[in-house]
Amino acid sequence: MVNTFLLVFVVHSMQLGVGIQGFQRIIFLEAKHDAWISVLISGVATAVVGFVMVKTLFAYESSDIYGIQYDLLGKWLGNALNVIFVLYCLGAFHVIVRNYIEVIQAWIFPEVPNWLLALTLVYLVYYALNGGLRTVVGVSFFSVVLSLWLTLLLAYPFQFAKWDYLFPMFEANIPELLKGAKQMTFTVIGFEIIYTIFPYLREKDRVHRHMQFGLLFTTILYLALMVVSLAYFSGGQLERTIWGTLSLFKIVRFPFIERFEYVAITFWVILILPNLMLYMWSASRGIARILNKKEKKVSWLLLGFIYLTLIFPLNRLEINMMNDYFARGAFYLIFGYPFVLYAAVLIKKKFFKKEGEANAKNSD
Amino acid sequence: MFFKKKKADILNSMNKKNLDDMELIPVKKEDFIQRMKDLLHHSADLHIKELQNGLTLVYVDTITDNKMINEDVLARLEDAQPTPDDALKRINVGSSGKLKYVEEIIDKILKGSVIIHSDGYPIIVEAAVGTQENRSLTRPENESQVLGPQLAFNESLATNISLIRRYLTNPNLCNESFTLGKQTNSGISLLYLKDIADEEMVERMRKRIQKIDVDSILDSSTLVQLVEDNSLAIFPQLLMTERPDRACAWLLNGKVAVLVDGSVQVIGAPLSFFEFFQSMEDESVRWQIATFLRLLRIFSMIVSIFFTAIYVAALTFHYEIIPQTLLIPLGESRSLVPFPPIFEALLLEIMIELLREAGARLPTKVGQTMGIVGGIVVGTAAVDAGFTSNILIIIIAVSALASFTTPNYMMGNVIRILRFPLILLAGFWGFYGLMIGFCFLLIHLIKQESLGTPFLAPFYPPRFSDWPDSIIRFPLAWTNKRPHLTRPRDRIKFQTRKSKE
Repeated sequence: MVNTFLLVFVVHSMQLGVGIQGFQRIIFLEAKHDAWISVLISGVATAVVGFVMVKTLFAYESSDIYGIQYDLLGKWLGNALNVIFVLYCLGAFHVIVRNYIEVIQAWIFPEVPNWLLALTLVYLVYYALNGGLRTVVGVSFFSVVLSLWLTLLLAYPFQFAKWDYLFPMFEANIPELLKGAKQMTFTVIGFEIIYTIFPYLREKDRVHRHMQFGLLFTTILYLALMVVSLAYFSGGQLERTIWGTLSLFKIVRFPFIERFEYVAITFWVILILPNLMLYMWSASRGIARILNKKEKKVSWLLLGFIYLTLIFPLNRLEINMMNDYFARGAFYLIFGYPFVLYAAVLIKKKFFKKEGEANAKNSD
Repeated sequence: MFFKKKKADILNSMNKKNLDDMELIPVKKEDFIQRMKDLLHHSADLHIKELQNGLTLVYVDTITDNKMINEDVLARLEDAQPTPDDALKRINVGSSGKLKYVEEIIDKILKGSVIIHSDGYPIIVEAAVGTQENRSLTRPENESQVLGPQLAFNESLATNISLIRRYLTNPNLCNESFTLGKQTNSGISLLYLKDIADEEMVERMRKRIQKIDVDSILDSSTLVQLVEDNSLAIFPQLLMTERPDRACAWLLNGKVAVLVDGSVQVIGAPLSFFEFFQSMEDESVRWQIATFLRLLRIFSMIVSIFFTAIYVAALTFHYEIIPQTLLIPLGESRSLVPFPPIFEALLLEIMIELLREAGARLPTKVGQTMGIVGGIVVGTAAVDAGFTSNILIIIIAVSALASFTTPNYMMGNVIRILRFPLILLAGFWGFYGLMIGFCFLLIHLIKQESLGTPFLAPFYPPRFSDWPDSIIRFPLAWTNKRPHLTRPRDRIKFQTRKSKE
């Protein structure tokens, strides 16, 4: 069981990942210099979806998405949906590692092969998963705490900010803003972890509050980052900057260190580790539930499988395409499906009250 | 029901059988003397004294007090009746009693008792007249400090317990005794405060001690490896101290202490990682100073582990991150060095380890000469010969110095050794390798437990009420709660308001 207070860190660290390294450009392409409004909209959207997710889970006493889908749709259809969720988690794992390796190869080590970088990350995930959920949550806690100082470095680009770049405000129209917000999907997802971690939280009555704290913290961080980026880069520059956040670190300079992006990029390992661990944990939990096997052994198999997919080489264009497909799928799964699920749960609760609860408990 | 009864019966009969299995004492004097000699293999220091009145005294004269035997036992038994009752009445020794079995008396003889056999009786009188070969109490060598008591434990279990009892005059101080080691039969004591320590914690420690099945326990540092949670871990999970005041502070915080006969170190459990960087002196100095010192120690641990590795990573792969003003002196000092940074660093690190290991085993005077020869002569010569750069020497010296600020010897060792894998990682994959190493250590630390409690407490899991006395220290009046870590039965040490006034 995990202290509910830690959910703040779990949610925040799950949202933070590779997306934040370069989300400025894709939002800017849609919403221009009003991109910060899109960030705000996406923040509100996550809060709403987070609310719906928690409500769905509250309908059952202590079950996760696998149990709920099983209960709603029965063995075959429920398990099919469970498999889709598992595949989504594995896909997220794959996409994150891919993007991070790409950044490492583009910025620091062009020569280091895929298989080596993937192996180190997969090994760390394996090592942490062997320690169980307590270790995994611990890593996400320290990942947030130990990387807080990175936000202070925003002060450097802040000095060179030209606030004129932000004006005139509200030039983009609503569809553009919404499109920009939709582009945020890849960056803000991760809070769906509540669907799987919920049974392990100790004080259920405080889940929603802490979930919203985590989401709010992320939104504030993204907003600050977006505003600083918009003021620091000119419009044309931002369109050509693939990894905006990393480029911001370029001008950080201390008496004993400069070109800070080298440190920042390698430091990102600790930011993506919680994502990888928790996605893998969710996936292996789902599979273990469907097949009735031990979670740890399933996670070893899945890690081996995903490692094999990772050593398959992809070029920049293919990675971009994969990101787009994944983001599109994630958009429907995270910003659409929870409402459907909640509606289904409500209907089920209304018509088959007693039966449902009994089922959920059995499948737990 | 039927089965239960049967089981109980079997147990009962087994008990009886065990009792019967023990050898009864030979009634006749000659048989008894022969049996004793056989059992102790005619040992040269085995003393058997036959008195005129039919009593026989047996003891090992190397571990008994001659004066006591003469004055309190022999002199009084000369005109005694040859019965156990009368002998027991006459001897003037505090700890005495009657025994029925041969195994028991052998045990007593080996622990320094004199035993008295009366011809014709199957009962033995025993009197403890053992000597305690003891060092006198000295100052703590490994945990010396300016303020606070200047007293260390010595090798005697009885003395050590008496030291603790002198600090804690408290009827709730429990002392449970165990015997471990098939060959050594070492005495182990488990100490805790009844109304503070968590019963489950005590039970856990008790179980672990009872479960141990080894042939010898010579020191608490070997016992600690048998009772710790994870023997594969890099870091020690239980702390040892030679200071009685520290052991008492542990007991007062709800921890348990384990003492081993013949060992100057006392084991404390459960411990958190950050307690390895605390010293008893932190309690004696003002809180601002204590906070500074604790932060300094944490900082120096990080420096000691990562500094050399960062140098290697930066110079091997990422010289872009070094500012130009710094790059020029660095380049100048490295211009003569024929090795890549990783070799250079490993060479110097190994040299420092050699110096330390050589100095540790030598007598003090030779050791000092060693330090001068090694440190100054070899260091200067290495730079002059162009083997290493000046700057690396500074870095290595600083990180070696930093590793010695850790108040705990075992943790200091770990920190020094950890540098090597990190230098290798940094030499192979630069900052990325360093970060992988760091993440591995982090996960490793999160996974560890100390007597079943999380090792990184109070930071993970976060327990804010314990923070005032962790890597910082608030004024004493603020730290009036015992740490969550030990799950103490009584959380409050004292009422804040009263102590402030």
